[in-house]
Amino acid sequence: MDTTQNPVPSSQAPRTSAIAAPRTPRRRIGRRRLSPTLIAGLVLVGIVAITALLSFVWTPYDPVQANPADRLQGPSLAHLFGTDKYGRDLFSGMLVGARITLFVGLISVGIALLVGTPLGIIAGIRGGWIEEVIMRTSDIALAFPALLLAIMFGAVFGPSTVSAMIAIGISTIPGFARVARSGTLQVMSTEYVLAARAASQSRFRIAVRHVLPNIIGIVVVQCSVAFALAVLAEAALSFLGLGTPPPTPSWGRMLQESQQFLGTHPSLAIFPGVAIAIAVMGFNLLGDGLRDRFDPKLNGGRS
Amino acid sequence: MRRKTPLILTAALAAATALVLAGCSAGSGGSTGAADTAERTSATIALTAAPVNLDFTTTAGAAIPQALMSNVYEGLVEINQEGEIVPLLAKEWSLSDDRKTYTFTLNEGVTFSNGEPFTAADVKFSFDRVKTDWTTTLKGKMDVVESVEVLSDTEVAVHLTQPSNAWLFNIATPIGAIFSPSGVDDLANAPVGTGPYEVASWTPNESLVLDTRDDYWGDAPGVEQVTLKYLADATATTNALRTGDVDAIVNLQAPELVSTFEEDPAFEVVSGTSSGEISLSLNNRIAPFDDVRVRQAVLHALDRQAIIDTAWNGYGSLTATYVTPLEPYYVDLNDAYEYNPEKAKELLKEAGAENLDITFKVPTRPYAQAVSEIVVSQLAAVGINATIESSEFPAVWLEDVFTNHNYQMTTVLAVEARDLLTVFNNPDYYIGYDNSKIAPIAAEADAADEAGYIEGMQQVQKQIVDDAASGVLFLFPNIVITTAGLEGVPENAIVEALNLTDLSWK
Amino acid sequence: MAIRLLVNLVRFAATFLVATVVVFLFMRLIPGDPAQVALGVNASPELLEQMRAQFGTDRPLAVQYLDWVGGLLRGDFGVSYVTRQDISPLVIDRLQVSLILVLTAMAVALLVAIPLGTIAAVRHRNFSGIAIGAVSQLGVAIPGFLAGILLVIVFSIQLGWFPAGGWTPPNQDFGEFLRRLFLPVLALASVQGAILTRYVRSAVLEIMSEDYLRTARAKGLSKTGALLKHGMRNAAIPVITVTGVQIAALIIGAVVIERVFVIPGLGSMLLDAVGNRDLLTVQSLVMVLVAITLLMNLLIDVIYTIVDPRMRKSS
Repeated sequence: MDTTQNPVPSSQAPRTSAIAAPRTPRRRIGRRRLSPTLIAGLVLVGIVAITALLSFVWTPYDPVQANPADRLQGPSLAHLFGTDKYGRDLFSGMLVGARITLFVGLISVGIALLVGTPLGIIAGIRGGWIEEVIMRTSDIALAFPALLLAIMFGAVFGPSTVSAMIAIGISTIPGFARVARSGTLQVMSTEYVLAARAASQSRFRIAVRHVLPNIIGIVVVQCSVAFALAVLAEAALSFLGLGTPPPTPSWGRMLQESQQFLGTHPSLAIFPGVAIAIAVMGFNLLGDGLRDRFDPKLNGGRS
Repeated sequence: MRRKTPLILTAALAAATALVLAGCSAGSGGSTGAADTAERTSATIALTAAPVNLDFTTTAGAAIPQALMSNVYEGLVEINQEGEIVPLLAKEWSLSDDRKTYTFTLNEGVTFSNGEPFTAADVKFSFDRVKTDWTTTLKGKMDVVESVEVLSDTEVAVHLTQPSNAWLFNIATPIGAIFSPSGVDDLANAPVGTGPYEVASWTPNESLVLDTRDDYWGDAPGVEQVTLKYLADATATTNALRTGDVDAIVNLQAPELVSTFEEDPAFEVVSGTSSGEISLSLNNRIAPFDDVRVRQAVLHALDRQAIIDTAWNGYGSLTATYVTPLEPYYVDLNDAYEYNPEKAKELLKEAGAENLDITFKVPTRPYAQAVSEIVVSQLAAVGINATIESSEFPAVWLEDVFTNHNYQMTTVLAVEARDLLTVFNNPDYYIGYDNSKIAPIAAEADAADEAGYIEGMQQVQKQIVDDAASGVLFLFPNIVITTAGLEGVPENAIVEALNLTDLSWK
Repeated sequence: MAIRLLVNLVRFAATFLVATVVVFLFMRLIPGDPAQVALGVNASPELLEQMRAQFGTDRPLAVQYLDWVGGLLRGDFGVSYVTRQDISPLVIDRLQVSLILVLTAMAVALLVAIPLGTIAAVRHRNFSGIAIGAVSQLGVAIPGFLAGILLVIVFSIQLGWFPAGGWTPPNQDFGEFLRRLFLPVLALASVQGAILTRYVRSAVLEIMSEDYLRTARAKGLSKTGALLKHGMRNAAIPVITVTGVQIAALIIGAVVIERVFVIPGLGSMLLDAVGNRDLLTVQSLVMVLVAITLLMNLLIDVIYTIVDPRMRKSS
């Protein structure tokens, strides 16, 4: 469930992920006003990012240092979000936890982006048996959801942030490959690319000059959606004990540790729960907003 | 379609209400009424670790004997709740003057669950079989037996190669379980013993159902059917108790969840003792813990009561080494290393080990995760920077730490009863303690009379503590929560067995 | 159409075979000797050898692989050397539980998502459309286990309406089965419903901008009428895809909900088997999960061919 909240479109990606047929060589960005969705997404993601950056320079307390005398305190001026069972300041932990959340997202999406996009473009440009091999391999990868991979990786390499990031990253590759391939196929059938091919430009040149600029939008959308997925996946893995090990603060593990206190100290669960929801919503809204922007068709039927 | 709007509002409201309600204290739980409990003939008990199969002769782990010993299998003797050795299949026994021959007189009219009568020949069969067919390391405890001699149907003599005080205790543990030659074909699925229960059904990782036998030789248990339910998640376990899906929880692994039950008259909470110590094991063979001063510094750096209070919500008690107050040779050495960060820093300075960086391998178990964070924090206060590395338990921890000794510091719940010598009197054990000083004392103690045994074992403990061989953070509590009306759930977990024979509904 | 189906079948078989090799080799990487785990601490080297021989883990890899795949194809996963029981019946038991849970949840989710998503699209500039959009955003963003835990606290601990967990097989006591199924299905369906609502909404939005729909409206049909008459078939395609992908992923993904509600499904069986280093069981479970995903993809493709008129022509 959690790792599947943003499903990877299957082999029929062109129809599910809304891709504008690139009619002009490069879409002009920034002409239209920002949509409310995009603004909301930017604000929520901005909050998470600023929180993470802030944690590098300032936290009210050491987020790892236990202080048994102050354990399990409710929110107060001294401890904005209260303290956990070790007497650690929850607010400080949440600040640092934002880092881990973004880190897991960046690395796992980075893996998928850097591996999946080139593969998709190659498959789209070359076609033939190369395309067949790439897309069938992608099919196999698709058969291993993030959670299954994480359980297997956790068993082989031990539960760690790195195992979790790699598992999430690998399971996200097929999504990028498919989006990039279908985008590439559309670009390749446009007249200007046909012209470029007639002028015997090299495939690499075509990829860089024509394909990349035109699919960058949908790839960015994919990144945003995959990012939201990664945040949820990290939380689910932490719940199963396969995520970030202690004492590094992680929102997912905080939520898991708070489970025993739900009846007595619900704030321990509410803050990390809300934080996760903010991050996931932020990236989803950002993705939606960007998609509307790159694809006028979805924007209420007016283009 | 406009009328759909209220629906969405309702949904949003419901979600908000759910959050608010969830936030309120969960104290007002609706449990099953305690009115008709006296008529109940079955009970369901929640346990944490599930047996992988039912054969403890070839499969390690405490979960199998926990379910089967005292219930399905019986030994010649057993350990009662006070930690004493008492008769079971043997009516009485005597020890020869050279302390090398035990002669047991057996109860008559005992049968196995497959109908076979129990005789002295079965004792010989079972004890001999330990050496030939058992594969777990427990089998070593039978090495001291030279031969088993059947004197008559109800009399059996066991000859030891040398006097041993520990042996009689050991045969009260799984190693002394009595099997029938006709009942060992499928131990993993169909155990056959002389106990009051037999296995009615068994679903791996889910549940084990025990039914009472009509032809049991002793007093019939107070309930006819006991279901042992294996629930890995502590919160789910307490939820199950609250909603009446289980009647008792034995050895709850989440002390934070206890408080709401303590206030509720529908439940009874008991915090008994167990044979388990939460260790802080230091690898004596490698730097920096090959230096006794560094080990002593670690012990001075730990505020163990604070660890109990924060990690385990105040449940648990102090002990200095792997001996619990219910063992006959217990001696209180808790003051040997008082909490003193300054002294710890001095010792570290003396040893030239200031600003130490170490790795701390933490098994993936609730108790270990709970203690690790506070231990790391306390060590940091004296300049020891411990980095936590998660180690999947049991598989990875066993291979990495236990077998390959690839660790500096680790923690583990050592559940085996009377395990002092297992841990320390073996330099190849994963702690790597140099046992040259304690080995002769321990050997002498085992062969001595009772008083000599106790005195010798106390000397062993003192030596181990002097050498700061390893830390014990605390003695693990046996937290038992029962629905009011269910009686006879054992409070203490002194040996592996969870004895279900005294269960009854009031 | 037949050719397309055949190609898909061949692809399915090839992918499955490659997956068996990948899974088999991957399993050999897992640290922790099964014999060691079975024997526990301090096992002697001779005993370990004896145990490995008994488990068959001392045979050449190729032999072990062929033995295993042969069994897979016959539907016989062998006998677990850890639990010493036949693996197949246990897997089938657990698979039934997972399928009941996941399919019920997806059915509920679809029942909620199709109308809500359509409304959200048709009225995307009105309050109701925006509200549905917002609620579905929130539903997608809440970690599923948190939803599950909250449901337990409210409906079983506070109100006492439903059991907090556990599983009763339907043939044993159907009423109890439904009572125990309710909360986990609600937890799964609320999240999945939110996901599907989003997909239905964007699928309907997309077809609403298609030319044929505008033509239909120009001819005097109402928005809804035009949609129902011409649009639904096309909107169904992406929704079918997502539903299929989600079902496949949920069979394992539901493990989190299984943990919260103590449900004996495939996911928790996998976690337990990994913990016990029951490699043969792990291997078999992973292949079952992979096979379900591949089958689902195949099924989606077949449904496509039937639903999409363009697809029928092009093949």
